[in-house]
Amino acid sequence: MRHSFTIADRDHAVWLARAGAAYRLHVGGRSMSVSLEPAADGAGVLQFDGARHDVVMARDGDVTHLHIDGEAFAVRYTDPVRRHAGSSADAAEDVALAPMPGTVVAVNVQPGERVAAGQTLVVIESMKLETSIKAWREGSVAAVHVAKGDPFERSAPLVTLAPEARAR
Amino acid sequence: MTAPIHAFRTVLVANRGEIALRILRTVKALGLEGAIVHHAIDRDSPAVRAADKAHEIGGASPIAAYLDGAQIIAAARALGAQAIHPGYGFLSENAGFVRQVAQAGLIFVGPSPDAIELMGDKVRARAFATKHGFPVAPSAIEDDAPRTFLERARALGFPLLIKPAAGGGGKGMRIVRDAAALEEEIARARSEGERYFGDGRLYVERYVENPRHIEVQILGDAHGNVVHLFERECSVQRRFQKIIEESPSPALTPHERAEIATTARNIAKAAGYTNAGTVEFIYSSGKFYFLEMNTRLQVEHPVTEMVTGIDLVAEQLRIAAGARLSVSQSDIISSGHAIEARIYAESPGRGFAPTTGRVLELRAPRGEGVRFDCGIAKGQHVTAAFDPMLAKLIVHGTDREQACARLDSALRELVLLGCETNAGFLRRVIRHPAFAAGEVHTGFLDAHPEIAAEPPLPRELADKLLAAAALSTRAVRDAADAVPALHAAMGAWRN
Repeated sequence: MRHSFTIADRDHAVWLARAGAAYRLHVGGRSMSVSLEPAADGAGVLQFDGARHDVVMARDGDVTHLHIDGEAFAVRYTDPVRRHAGSSADAAEDVALAPMPGTVVAVNVQPGERVAAGQTLVVIESMKLETSIKAWREGSVAAVHVAKGDPFERSAPLVTLAPEARAR
Repeated sequence: MTAPIHAFRTVLVANRGEIALRILRTVKALGLEGAIVHHAIDRDSPAVRAADKAHEIGGASPIAAYLDGAQIIAAARALGAQAIHPGYGFLSENAGFVRQVAQAGLIFVGPSPDAIELMGDKVRARAFATKHGFPVAPSAIEDDAPRTFLERARALGFPLLIKPAAGGGGKGMRIVRDAAALEEEIARARSEGERYFGDGRLYVERYVENPRHIEVQILGDAHGNVVHLFERECSVQRRFQKIIEESPSPALTPHERAEIATTARNIAKAAGYTNAGTVEFIYSSGKFYFLEMNTRLQVEHPVTEMVTGIDLVAEQLRIAAGARLSVSQSDIISSGHAIEARIYAESPGRGFAPTTGRVLELRAPRGEGVRFDCGIAKGQHVTAAFDPMLAKLIVHGTDREQACARLDSALRELVLLGCETNAGFLRRVIRHPAFAAGEVHTGFLDAHPEIAAEPPLPRELADKLLAAAALSTRAVRDAADAVPALHAAMGAWRN
């Protein structure tokens, strides 16, 4: 079965197969013998075509965090079901997502309120700069996901506008 | 170590993170009791756990809590503390707070409010230094005679740097290279100053191209003793924020080194300065100019502790207790080379944007000459609520080359999983040929943008990452185990 992983916004397709006590990893037309021996406290040894590499690993949902050769990386497993769902048109266009982590300086709208395109919904502060998050279209506010003073993460939903019937 | 003087028995740390932990370490080593205030968000932080007593404070935001002087003074009373150590940032350079602490009958571990007002104000500090004959970059201050400001500015020669009198952090600063643009640039800088600081007053100074940032650590006690603890060079910066600091500066000759250190000591003496402070200079082609004074313990103070062997927080507490400095100038010797690298939760490849996450694994580097000042622990969330600095890695070596090598291997050894950091970027900085040659200036990262860019992932490393991730992802492993080896091989062929 083909699986998909993402490293630094780049997708990689891999195929893992059992090969005796170890596994074979197929990726980009290459193939190698691999196995992983976990030890205590996140440490482990990765066998990669006969060479041994000390690693420290931690899982967080679909993300494998990995320290190898003196550097840290994050590898995201893309669930085949979710990948399919994400490709169809969904509600993403109705939600303002945080462009980067920060804190909320002001919330200017309330649920149910009508807003004009370009109207400021919330003001956020990030990297010592204030940024206004403006309505990208006319509509009515379905939900405000943050309050003044709240810290938020990158891609966190800030404000949702109610879906509008599309003009035909 | 013994307690300096019994002026106080309990010290309240009005800060958080690595600096709170670092202050508590010395407070306890001196046999004193360590108390701390904290916002709820920091309840489980290592600093709160390390304190003997803790008191929760609140506010509209976590930062607002740490800036609420009245709550902190009330907490000091409730916890039975007699002294307050402010750390850096927050209320450390707030003269009003220092006065409130004194009015409450408590001891502030830091300089007097008058010294903060004099030396912490850029324009006043410059005027003071000029008056006492210390080297200051040629400048024109609007307030001196507003009507002749433009003429005086023009007379300095170009390029010029316009700065807001009330400014800080690089906001509202403008470089002017062309005399014809001066008037318009002044108008713009004034409007920015009004917008950011509610104060449109300006001053202008001769702009020094590619300067180095060199600062001198000083200590003064209430008995008139002032010493310097040599310099730190902090030229590698991004957005006016220091990233790497070292001592000694690779730029100074022994003669220049003695001169800059003595100048700093004399400035502090002239100001009647007490407690720990840092005199900042800009340095370019053999000349140095006074820039400003930081009236607090600095983030990069461990660099000085590593080369001098002097615990600066212990000296701060002695001074605050009214004792004499434990050292005289001739006792202070700088030995070897120390470098500090700041570990930030940020992505250098995405314009140093802050990153967030949860600390899933944390392993401190160890070894000869390695110090790791860290305020976070496994399981803790890294949020955008505070400054993105997570920890400081400081190394000492017999010379700069050894210190760089130790820093490089300590950065490799540091394991911090769950939140992207600048560790890889820091290694690229210290391995850069220009850095290795000591050729740094405040525009270093702009001159070498390739350092911040994330290098492409080598194919073999990507394969290893994919192998580890595939083998530890349950769904992938289960799918592999479910297919007999022969079919699996065929599957791959078909693929």
